[in-house]
Amino acid sequence: MRDPVLQVEDLSVSFTSGGVTTDVVRDLSMRLDGGRTLAVVGESGSGKTITGRAIMRLLPRGASARGRIVAAGREMLSADERELRRARGSDVAMVFQDSMSALSPYLDIGAHIAQAVRLHDPSVTRRAARARAVEMLDRVGIPEPADAVRRFPHEFSGGMRQRAVIAMALVNRPALLIADEPTTALDVTVQAQILALLRELQQEYGMAMLLISHDFGVVASAADDVLVLYAGRQAEYGSLRDIFEQPAHPYTTGLRAATPRLDARLDSGGKRTRLRAIPGAPTSLRDAGPGCAFAPRCGLADQVGERCVVEVPLPTVRPTNEDGGLHLAACHLDRLPALQEVAR
Amino acid sequence: MSEPILEMTNVSKRYRTAGGFGRRRKGFLAVDGVSLRIGRGEALGLVGESGSGKSTLARMANGLVVPTSGTVRTDGQDVACLSRRGLRRLRRNVAMVFQDPLASLNPRQTVRQTLANVFHAHGEATSTAELVALLESVGLDADYLGRYPHEASGGQLQRVAVARALALKPDLIIADEPTSALDVSVRAQILNLLADLQRDQGISFLHVSHDLAVIRLYSDRVAVMQRGRIVETGPSDEIFRSPQHSCTRALVEATPEAELPA
Repeated sequence: MRDPVLQVEDLSVSFTSGGVTTDVVRDLSMRLDGGRTLAVVGESGSGKTITGRAIMRLLPRGASARGRIVAAGREMLSADERELRRARGSDVAMVFQDSMSALSPYLDIGAHIAQAVRLHDPSVTRRAARARAVEMLDRVGIPEPADAVRRFPHEFSGGMRQRAVIAMALVNRPALLIADEPTTALDVTVQAQILALLRELQQEYGMAMLLISHDFGVVASAADDVLVLYAGRQAEYGSLRDIFEQPAHPYTTGLRAATPRLDARLDSGGKRTRLRAIPGAPTSLRDAGPGCAFAPRCGLADQVGERCVVEVPLPTVRPTNEDGGLHLAACHLDRLPALQEVAR
Repeated sequence: MSEPILEMTNVSKRYRTAGGFGRRRKGFLAVDGVSLRIGRGEALGLVGESGSGKSTLARMANGLVVPTSGTVRTDGQDVACLSRRGLRRLRRNVAMVFQDPLASLNPRQTVRQTLANVFHAHGEATSTAELVALLESVGLDADYLGRYPHEASGGQLQRVAVARALALKPDLIIADEPTSALDVSVRAQILNLLADLQRDQGISFLHVSHDLAVIRLYSDRVAVMQRGRIVETGPSDEIFRSPQHSCTRALVEATPEAELPA
């Protein structure tokens, strides 16, 4: 079997402040092969962004990661600064939600991309790096690339800036791209274009993609596999099909039922459909009690009883529709009752 | 037929832009000759991409933005002809909920102060019992009266913002992307709350959003804006079943559905 591009084993991330250490992510595991997309879905406090940053070793001050991360054959958690510098951009690249903060207002677009090229390979001449930048801008669909390299970030629209950032991230053909809410700040039509572009480039380069998102619509249109996070822990993991057709965690079904649908049907009385909201607000691992973090908001917790509030459920194997697919859910219920009911 | 709560006729708004030396100031036409009406008890959804002029249009409904030309009649009164006092009276009747509750609530005021100030500003007395009833109508308990904005979550704050809008029993609520800053699971709570207010209290809504699925769920009628103009308008079901204008079609097609790809 081929080695995965990304393998994460028992990743925990903690913050230390004022001498107190608290975990924000605990015991995450995942694997991702080349050419595949794994979507990490969650809300505030779920730890999805921190997980992405931990893989890049781009954690904020005071945060530390334990466990094991192997990205493109490199042990990321034990790598020294020199190795990390080599890995970032060349093996693993990242695209953020806010393209403006990823670009320097003082440099033209070409300089950003050329810099990425020359950091990766210092033997490339300035002129050649600049030429690569033009090529790359053309590849990501920016019109008149020879002219666009001389433009500054503020002269671009949000969608064009995100394309430029993608060009910068992919110019060295990384094996893994981490995209943290890459389309959240964009209009829907532009979002669709950017997602299509990412898919196209992924196929062309055989790249693995970790797509961090809060939006099940985006996930459905882009992911092969899905990892649902709640309060810093894995709630459910499975193929897109398993997650949609036979979800095994009440949070997964709840999240989907809370997502407004374009085809929302009118019920018989001509009244509008109500969304099935999840009561309460998302929490973080820090504020979670001793049991399942979702229990206070879970409509099924009282069916199980006290176990939900005293014991953290571990991910266990669930039925799958895919050949050899892995489907895990961290819930004390073996089966969700009346699944279609809940999911609609 | 009763008078509409809001009627805009051929309304335009041109923003002045900075002109350079020797350059003519042309300005930016944010809203270009729009006519629009909202009946009593009706929820109108206004959709469009960023920069299409939907927020500017919404803000003209209660006089926050003054139109360059055209007339806005809210509750039968021509907004342009209102005195300061008249505008103040208008704003009791037309309340507003913004996207970011943390930015629209004063961080140095407790929820009690925020709500009491609404009554105070309109020269009305209020009691704790009234404030508690107001909070309860948006699903919050009395505890919240003593809290500051930083002590509540985004969803709770947006409930406070809705409570503030409801305080003076308005006929029309203008909600500009009221759920865009909220988590998915919380967004549904707020959308349901707004839908209940429309149904149970007969409040009219002008709901501005870039999210078609939110508008679909929530509006009786939909208006689609593009470059300052309304390019399509009609009953919500029809617009989404068979969008006519290319802009509407593009929006519908681009909206990702939380469904397995076929």
